[in-house]
Amino acid sequence: MGILILALIIVASVLVGLLIYFLKKDSIPAAQVSTSTITNNAIEDVEHIFNDEFREELRNRGRLHFEKIIGENAMFLQQDLRLTTSQLNDYMKQEITRTLKNEFSKYEESINNAKQLAVESIEKTQATIDQQRQLMTQQLSDQFSAEKTHMISRFENHMADVVNHYIMTAIGNQIDLSDQLEFILKDLKDNKEAIIEDIKNGA
Amino acid sequence: MAHELDHVRLPLSVITTIDLARVCRELNDLDEFLLQATLRKPGTPMQLPRLSKMLDDTATINKVNLLEDKQRKTLITVLAIAKDKAPRLHISFSAEPSPLFITKISEFIRKNIDQIALMQIGLQPTIAAGCVLRSSNRQFDFSLRKRLRESRPILVDLMGKIQDVSQPVSVKVDVK
Repeated sequence: MGILILALIIVASVLVGLLIYFLKKDSIPAAQVSTSTITNNAIEDVEHIFNDEFREELRNRGRLHFEKIIGENAMFLQQDLRLTTSQLNDYMKQEITRTLKNEFSKYEESINNAKQLAVESIEKTQATIDQQRQLMTQQLSDQFSAEKTHMISRFENHMADVVNHYIMTAIGNQIDLSDQLEFILKDLKDNKEAIIEDIKNGA
Repeated sequence: MAHELDHVRLPLSVITTIDLARVCRELNDLDEFLLQATLRKPGTPMQLPRLSKMLDDTATINKVNLLEDKQRKTLITVLAIAKDKAPRLHISFSAEPSPLFITKISEFIRKNIDQIALMQIGLQPTIAAGCVLRSSNRQFDFSLRKRLRESRPILVDLMGKIQDVSQPVSVKVDVK
């Protein structure tokens, strides 16, 4: 409103200036016309030109123009606001997306790290279990081998005792001493020197 | 003393220490009888004690006239020494040996080892066959039991070979 009034005042001042100029130009020959008359006439003309209707018309036109400008500005402002809102939405979307991506990437990285740690731990555990299993397998194998050897040895020894006992029991008194005489004498003859030596030393 | 033992002989009928002790005792009795006989009045009837085969064989093998006082005394002395100093061999058999068997063993020992060795016969059924001779310091095991024990590695080796041929032993370990 102030701008409109200021514009009207400027326009009015320009018109008044022009009117005064033309009046002075025409009144040069009639120099006798007094300045006050001219001024009064101008004031009257001005009052005549800028009457209430004209002023009202100017107001209406100014109001319409102002409303038009306001409307256009509002439209532009609305468009700008929409555009800004849209850009802001896009920006927010981008920012949120970027932030979420960053967070998700960090989260994924954390999950991957945790997964890697878990996998490494599982692998280490698996390796330890495999090592323990191999060690246990080796120990069991060694123990089985030792036990097998021990059992075989014990069986063989016992079997030898059983066979010896069986032979001695089976023979028993069945062999006549007369039949053994030749072998006994042979043993005595073979060990004669040792027996004589022992007798000499013992005596 | 050892020199005296070099000339003494023991018959095969005197084998054990008990036999020798019996001969000594009998010889002492004879000597006592003959000593008493010298104290008797001449013409008194007397009967010479009956000598055992062991004493008779001992006198014979040593070429001693038991009626001769000096020879008899000498024999008594050397037999007493032999009873104390003669080497003793303890021989165990798996069964009770016959006298003939003992005589043959004794004859071999007297000829090859020591002429006055005395033996003591024992019985060990666990030796199965053969004999175990024990002298003063050592023991000589000529029994079948010892030979079986010495042959145990051979038996074990044979059993191992039989086992290897019949069924190989294998142990598989699978721990999951």
